[in-house]
Amino acid sequence: MGQKLIGRRDFMKSTLAGFGGLFFLPPFNTKQEIKLVEAKGKEKKFIYRTLGKTRLKLPVINMGVMLTDNPNLIRAALDSGVLLLDTAHGYMQGRNEETIGSVIKGRPRDSFYIATKVGLPQNRTTGLYLEGATTEEFLKRLDISLKRLGLDYVDILYQHGVSRKESVMYEPILKAFELAKKAGKIRFSGVSTHSNEPEVIDAVTDSKVHDVILTAYTFKQKHYQEVRKAIARASNAGLGIVGMKAVRGAFQQQPTTRNIVASFKWILQDPNVHTVIAGFTTFEHLETDLAIMNDLTLTEQEKMDLQKEASLPGLYCQGCRQCLGQCTEKLPIPDLMRAYMYTYDYRNIAHAQDLITSLDLPDRVCEDCSFCRVKCAIGFNVLKKIRDVAWLKKT
Amino acid sequence: MTKAISFLLGFIIFLLVPLTKAEDFKFPEIAGWKQSGEVDTFIPKTLYEYINGAADLYLAYDFEELKVAEYKNEKNASVTIDVYRHRTPLHAFGIYSQERLAGANFLDIGAQGYYEKGFLNFLAGPYYVKLSGNNTGPKEREILIAFAKEMSKLLGPKGSLPSILSAFPPEGKKLNSEMFISKNFLGYSFFHSGFTADYELQGKKFKLFIIERENRDECKAMIGKYLQTIKSPRKEVTEGRYALSDPHHGEIGLHWQGRYIWGILNLNEVSLRSRYLKLFGERLPIK
Repeated sequence: MGQKLIGRRDFMKSTLAGFGGLFFLPPFNTKQEIKLVEAKGKEKKFIYRTLGKTRLKLPVINMGVMLTDNPNLIRAALDSGVLLLDTAHGYMQGRNEETIGSVIKGRPRDSFYIATKVGLPQNRTTGLYLEGATTEEFLKRLDISLKRLGLDYVDILYQHGVSRKESVMYEPILKAFELAKKAGKIRFSGVSTHSNEPEVIDAVTDSKVHDVILTAYTFKQKHYQEVRKAIARASNAGLGIVGMKAVRGAFQQQPTTRNIVASFKWILQDPNVHTVIAGFTTFEHLETDLAIMNDLTLTEQEKMDLQKEASLPGLYCQGCRQCLGQCTEKLPIPDLMRAYMYTYDYRNIAHAQDLITSLDLPDRVCEDCSFCRVKCAIGFNVLKKIRDVAWLKKT
Repeated sequence: MTKAISFLLGFIIFLLVPLTKAEDFKFPEIAGWKQSGEVDTFIPKTLYEYINGAADLYLAYDFEELKVAEYKNEKNASVTIDVYRHRTPLHAFGIYSQERLAGANFLDIGAQGYYEKGFLNFLAGPYYVKLSGNNTGPKEREILIAFAKEMSKLLGPKGSLPSILSAFPPEGKKLNSEMFISKNFLGYSFFHSGFTADYELQGKKFKLFIIERENRDECKAMIGKYLQTIKSPRKEVTEGRYALSDPHHGEIGLHWQGRYIWGILNLNEVSLRSRYLKLFGERLPIK
């Protein structure tokens, strides 16, 4: 996926790096407004930021609807002061947009904003668009989305799930955006990205075509500093920045502290993030998430929780080498963990296979031990991970 | 008695089917088609790369692994098969039900499947399988069905839809509208999971639901927590009928008995509510 593979030395260096930059941020943006919003007889403090050149004033917490088809939860969110509902053409095979449509029916059109996303077929390895990815197909999907939502236009339409700069500049989609804007079917255009975010964000900024970027952004990303830098550049160029995957809903490798409030606060410390979409699924979560706006300051305890969580193991072996010598078969465990990373994170099977081949492993890998003696310092299930890559030896 | 045995058998099948999941499956060989490229594997951490934000919902249904194979023929048409494996057949049904189009063309593939222009989805044990065609022309339906049938054979026991679905009263029920919500049912974390089905009768649209727990005590705790949350004047938690006013859902009719709580949403007519709660209860294996 366009990621540069790293060698053993760099692997050790990068994984042992600290988290010093976790709370190092530019000064807080004063361009935010604080208002008291009345909802169901109660006053709540809301913080608003302006979504770049769209000039939309949004609360810093909004709703990502992807996880729920509960109309009453969406209704409660709007009644509580949430303004932006984020969905996609593909969520629940269209049921997600239909549910939103049933909730907003009859509400004044200027009382909410709708963002949806349309994706087109991509090559799953390269992230580049396939033959069937045409202007007509994109517009056809947009029309279906509008019908499901019961709207004449959406406020923001994203090109869904972009992971390559070439895809940002894909002519048929750029043309579709232009036609949709001319036809009054969209107010603003944007790009959503879940992987290779810095490259995509930079490409969107350079393109000068779009208004908004929706990006995954969390303290758990190993490259969050690059994401932060790209976001700052985009924001300075006038793009509206919407954050997602702050915590809830996103995959969390166990163990996890899951301090949800702290995770949202972390992303909102960045003044270049204008709003975050939260994927709550309960009325309680809705209240908790909105209450974050009472005070965005991270407490010392919250900072500690985030630092603790950031240091938990993910897919990556930290390269401490304490496992060496523990295996009765003397397997090169850090190298096998690197093969695991190539296979399941970078999904570069060929590179993983080259590495496995170079390791001169025995014929049967982890097949004859009834239990594993290796105790990983950060709690990896080493036996399972090795078995998950051992098949590469046989192919 | 027969009802209880049938529920028990259904439960046993649901327990047994996951045991087959450890066996890896192969993708089928189809005459005239060749697999192009390697089979891709996605795990919970990487699912976003394939289906973007939709991954969140799959993770909520205990997604474990996705394998993707692509086929091409001489005319450069392609068929992609996505096989999502979930922790249990119930979770696979849950995500399948979230995406199921009630008005689709249903097929006898796996436990259930359906075709709509461009894609075919089916359920088999802990697997949710999604096939899509590109440039497949007017014979797309036949092509996808042929692929789906072969794929289904290689996935082990096809399983069945959850047996509890048969407890939903048939009168007025919208076909294939049943769903399994894996967590935060009705927007309350203490309700955990539940099943729903859509109804339409005498011009009224409403929803029936059921929560099934391990034992009576769990249900009691749930009802207690619910009464507290909605600030209900009713304090005593006993088995039987409840007419409640929920600040988010409006009037709700509930019945708790044994390890089941069932109820009705969006139906204000008291007599009809009462009738359906009774009908529902009669179809449950309650001693």
